[in-house]
This record gives sequence, structure tokens and C-alpha cells, in this order.
Amino acid sequence: MKLPFCLLPSLLLGVLAAAASAGPPVYELEIHNHLFLPDEIRIPAATKIKLVVYNRDPTPEEFESYELNREKVIMGGRKATLFIGPLQPGIYPFFGEFNPRTAQGRVVVE
Amino acid sequence: MLINSVVLVLREVLEAALLLSVMLALSLNLRCSMRWLALCLPLAVLGIGLFAVFLDSITDALEGTGQELLTAGLQLAAFAACLLVICLGERVRAGARQSPLLALGFSIAVICAMVREGAEIYLYVTAFAASPDQRTAVYVGAVIGAGIGVSLGVLAYGGLRAMSARAAYVLCLCLVAVIGAGLVVQSSQLLEQIDWIAPGEPLWNTSAWLSEESVPGQLLYAVVGYEASPAPLQAWLWLGSALAVPAAWWLGRAPWRQRRAPA
Repeated sequence: MKLPFCLLPSLLLGVLAAAASAGPPVYELEIHNHLFLPDEIRIPAATKIKLVVYNRDPTPEEFESYELNREKVIMGGRKATLFIGPLQPGIYPFFGEFNPRTAQGRVVVE
Repeated sequence: MLINSVVLVLREVLEAALLLSVMLALSLNLRCSMRWLALCLPLAVLGIGLFAVFLDSITDALEGTGQELLTAGLQLAAFAACLLVICLGERVRAGARQSPLLALGFSIAVICAMVREGAEIYLYVTAFAASPDQRTAVYVGAVIGAGIGVSLGVLAYGGLRAMSARAAYVLCLCLVAVIGAGLVVQSSQLLEQIDWIAPGEPLWNTSAWLSEESVPGQLLYAVVGYEASPAPLQAWLWLGSALAVPAAWWLGRAPWRQRRAPA
């Protein structure tokens, strides 16, 4: 009965992989020339999501949203991860605090 | 651009300046030597530099949660130091000897608050150093914002010094309670952002009455952690932190020790 023990590591790996893939859905955003691309993301209501923001500009930016209560500095050429939700349906604007005139976007929860 | 930078820098400076003013007034009120301040300022400048220079690595550390954890840690440490100051300060008022821990408490509170706010200003201002068309507006805005923030801090300090020692002491305690509660609520939002704590359904929404986006809303957020639609956890944390200040004061009075004193 050695077989089950041999299978144990692969079984464990399988469980870990399943746990990892069962994490919150991932959404991605880019900052390019002080603009958010895309400037709107649509997410389901009552669901926690993971947002990854890539800053393609050489200068730092701060992802900020009063409605979402989020703020995070993203250095030039780097990325930042943050969690959002679960939220009720609605529109939640966000902006780049260092370039608020151009860097504007919104999370639409539906 | 000019107005943006005035508001951004003012908001950051105001948070640190107000806490610094209250700590200075409290230190004088308790007749604590002000030598701690001379040590604080270079350490805060060093901290701001290190925070800003290593923010890349800090952000990526601990699976991308480093920035939130460090910032929340600085804010919570500042609040804990405030509680220590109030507890030890009350003991000094009751006749105990000055403790070096008191100066340490003042220093930690001020350094943590300055590093957190200063690093963001530093990053913001240096981000525009390479763009000549925006540079001047950002620099001028930053100077105006910092000027207003520091002036308000000086005004708060002057106000606290002008009133009677007893009234100033009570007001200092009240200010520490609301500023500290704001720091704790801001930390809880950072921990929510990295999925360490779960956000709840908002208890109420006062954004129609006072929007967080408005200038008064932003300043109120900076000073007392104003949140238009707080979750139950945030509301309880705010209340609990504000009440921790009278609790620290009561602990400093140590009524059980006084009762034994006459024997």
C-alpha cells in the first residue's frame, strides 16, 4: 500500500492549485501617459475582486478612490495589487492623485 | 495643477503638523524637556528618504502588501505612542518623576506621522521634477500647501499655549482622541485593501451632506478620519480608539495606587 503515499504530494499540489485558482477574480488596469486604460472596469455585485494596476509611466502615481476607500502609490514602471469589494451595484470613481485631471476612471458594479 | 498640488500637500502636511503641534503643546504643558524634538527632525527626514527611495521594494514585499502594512504600522505606532504619552503624562502631573519613556513616546508619535505624510509629498514633488511645464505649478502649489498646513499647525500650537494650562491639557487629550481615531480608521482601510480584514455593509451615507471629495471633506478625513459611508467595523474602531485616550489617562492616574499612598 505504498501507492497512496506516492500520490500524496501530487494530491496536495492539486489541492493547492485549486485553492489558488479559487481566489477572487483578477482585473487589470494600466496607467499610460497619466491615463487609466481601460478607464472603466465592470465587476459583478457582491463579489470581491483583485485589481492589478500596472504603471507604464516613468513617474509614480497614486491610485485613489474616495468611494472605494482605496489609496496606493505605484512607482514608475511597477505594478500594485489591491482588493475591492464585495460592493453593491453602482458607479465608484477612482483617479490618479498625482494627475487627477487626466487620470480618471470608474468601477461599475452590476 | 496649482490647486491640485496645494490641496494634496496641505492635506498631508496638516495631518502631521496638527499632531506635532498637539505633542509640542502637551510636552510643554507637562514641563518635559523639548530635546526630543531635536532628535526627531533628522530621524524623520531620514525615514522619509528611506521610505520614498525603497518604496519599490516595500510595495512588492510580503506578496504586494508591504506598502499597506508599513503605512498602517506607522499610523498604529503613532497612535500607540500617543496613548503612552497620555498615560505617562498623567503620572507626571500626579507627581511622578519624568520618565525617558515620555520623550520616547513624543518622538515615536511625531516621527511616524511625519514619515507617512512626508514620503508622499516627496514622491509627488519629485515626480514632476522632470516635466518643465508642470514643475513650476507643482513647486509653487507645494510651497503654498505646506505654508498653509504649517501655519495652521502653528496657529493650533499658539491657541493651545494661549489658554490656561488645564484647558489646554483637556483640549490636547480631545485632539489626540479624534486624530488617533482617524489614524486607526485609516489603518483599517489599508488592511481592507490587502484583504486582511473584510469590509462590511456601510452603516450610513453622509456623502450628500458632506462629500469626501469636497475640500472640507478631505481635510476632515485627514484630521479625524472622516468617512461618509463607514462600515460597522470602522465606526466601532473609531469609537474604541477615541475612548482609548480617556482610558490611558485613567490608567496614568492609577486611582488604586493613590488610595494606598497615605499609608
